[in-house]
Amino acid sequence: MRTSLRSTVAALAVAAALITPALAAEIKIGVLVPTTGSEATYGQDMANAVQIAMDEINAAGGGDTYSMVVGDDGCDPQQAVNAATKLASSGISGVVGGYCSGATIPTLKIFGDAKLPMVITAANSTKLIPANPGNVFMINSTGNDQVAKALDVFKTKGIKALAIVNEGDAYSQDLATLAQTAFTGAGGAVPSFETVNKGEQDFSSVVTKIKASGADAVFWTAYYADGGPFIKQLREGGYTGLIIVGDGSTSTELFKLAGADAAEGVLALSSPTPDFLPNAKAFADTYKAKFSNAPGPYAALTYDGMKLLASAIKTAGGTDSAKVIEALQKSDFKDGLAGEITFRDDRTLARSNFIVLEGKSGAWALAQ
Amino acid sequence: MTLTAILAQQLVNGLVLGSFYALVALGYTMVFGVVKLLNFAHGDLYMVGAFGGFLALSLVSGFAGVGWLGVALAILLSMIAVGFLGVVIERIAYAPMLKAPRLSILITALAVSLVLQNGVLTLSNGQVMAFSSKLGFAGIDVFGLFINYKQIALAGTAAVLMLGLEFFISRTQYGRAMRAVSVDKDMSELMGIDVNRVIALTFFIGSALAAAAGTMAGAYYGSIWYFMGFLIGLKAFTAAVIGGIGSIPGAMLGGLTLGLLESFGTQIPGIGSEWKDVFSFSVLILVLVLKPTGLLGKSEQERM
Repeated sequence: MRTSLRSTVAALAVAAALITPALAAEIKIGVLVPTTGSEATYGQDMANAVQIAMDEINAAGGGDTYSMVVGDDGCDPQQAVNAATKLASSGISGVVGGYCSGATIPTLKIFGDAKLPMVITAANSTKLIPANPGNVFMINSTGNDQVAKALDVFKTKGIKALAIVNEGDAYSQDLATLAQTAFTGAGGAVPSFETVNKGEQDFSSVVTKIKASGADAVFWTAYYADGGPFIKQLREGGYTGLIIVGDGSTSTELFKLAGADAAEGVLALSSPTPDFLPNAKAFADTYKAKFSNAPGPYAALTYDGMKLLASAIKTAGGTDSAKVIEALQKSDFKDGLAGEITFRDDRTLARSNFIVLEGKSGAWALAQ
Repeated sequence: MTLTAILAQQLVNGLVLGSFYALVALGYTMVFGVVKLLNFAHGDLYMVGAFGGFLALSLVSGFAGVGWLGVALAILLSMIAVGFLGVVIERIAYAPMLKAPRLSILITALAVSLVLQNGVLTLSNGQVMAFSSKLGFAGIDVFGLFINYKQIALAGTAAVLMLGLEFFISRTQYGRAMRAVSVDKDMSELMGIDVNRVIALTFFIGSALAAAAGTMAGAYYGSIWYFMGFLIGLKAFTAAVIGGIGSIPGAMLGGLTLGLLESFGTQIPGIGSEWKDVFSFSVLILVLVLKPTGLLGKSEQERM
């Protein structure tokens, strides 16, 4: 008798616990970003942005309270799988993040199997689109949009022959081949298409090859950690043509690694970064006050991503994943720092959000 | 650019890159020669050397600046510090294992590599750091071939270090002791050679050379991070095998060969940068098939 009474009480407690989420629950959100390794600055920056978004939601009160669990993918596919598996089993209700495409792709299936809605806020390889099991939403414009923007720039600058350099990972190779196809399709020539090893510091032979190929512009499609030294060695090797980098190299660290002299006049295709978003002023101030440095390129998007997920959870009236995913698909989110968010049928952002930056005495300025 | 200018430029590129490989390969080959250990932590000593040089440069920058003098002092300080680190590693991790089966000490070496990598990962927060030396862009232009002073200084320093080592090994008493230990450790001990001291000295020199290469890489390429030793460790090991592991001139030759293979491989149509590693490692396989002991390695005679 006694035990059955106890089990009744226990059942009631469980029932109570199940009912409460609908009212005001504590919701854990997984944040999948690299916090160690070559891309650590971007990853930490994104985690910080999520923190700010959560603090604001929690402070507003009257609803769910959010907390985050960070999974360090180290920008490495293997480590990412481990981090994702660990996140999926830590009681989270959704995932925000995804910086390195190569590391993000293998995690999609894990989160898909775990039925977790995911908002990718930085990674934008087109290879993510077919890998999407249906639970993933990308709020950064993809490689296709970036290449379209790059073609505009090449046209305005009158570039006839282009050298393209990537690092053989999902993101940079995808962008490089897309750019190659698009540029040759538009009547241009690609006399030099190079792949370098990630982390290999010597680019001298590639620099010589590019110089000899007569390319009047170089497009670096990989990340800043090697992009900085690459730009430095291009200029040291006497290359004088235009240098343009993809959105993986827009960190200001690039100027430290390349040296401000070498990076002068370098163009960058960039996702909308807080510095160049009129709505993001208050966000940038909060960020600086809290973390004592300026928000990085993906901070605004990641902040938007967290807010978007929270609003979808609110619309869905709870954390039931099917409902949240449906709410995300139908989202018409207007409170974002980086502009409104609606999705195409393939769950990518419905508009292109790329801007062009130019290196000016050790900092980025809006070009054009 | 004319074809000759391109080839000459790739020759310079290959020699500079090869100097790095050679300096690191020397440490592999010396340690292997003396204690028959493949020291997999050697690439990480290169990385620790780069960070040591980074710290040393910030120490001396107050009075020596971050130009040539500052970098030279940083290289020297880093060599000494990492040299001693190498000796400490040998005493703690390898010395107790010298009589153990070969596999145990190999695994110990992997462990040391992980300790160094993760140690620096923790200390540097995993960030890529800018090496704040200022050596300028200047150089000389010879018939359309551009060589900057950094490349000259780098290849020159590497050459001086390698020649110094060669002199040390072939002409000094400790060098002779080192050669004796590499031929027969037990017999050397019976002849009154302090084998432990010779082993310590070997680790000191090998580590110091790696540190010199690491600091120079930091100053030359401008960035350092905790994982920078992995790839070069692999390449330098390859260089040591191409040249004949255990042979000192072999390590130098192997390093330069690998550097040249990579830079010319990048330029050759149909191979290109994407296939350059396939190209150079195919050459490695070819060398091992035709001459299993490497270019300058001597085959060991089985004694009856």
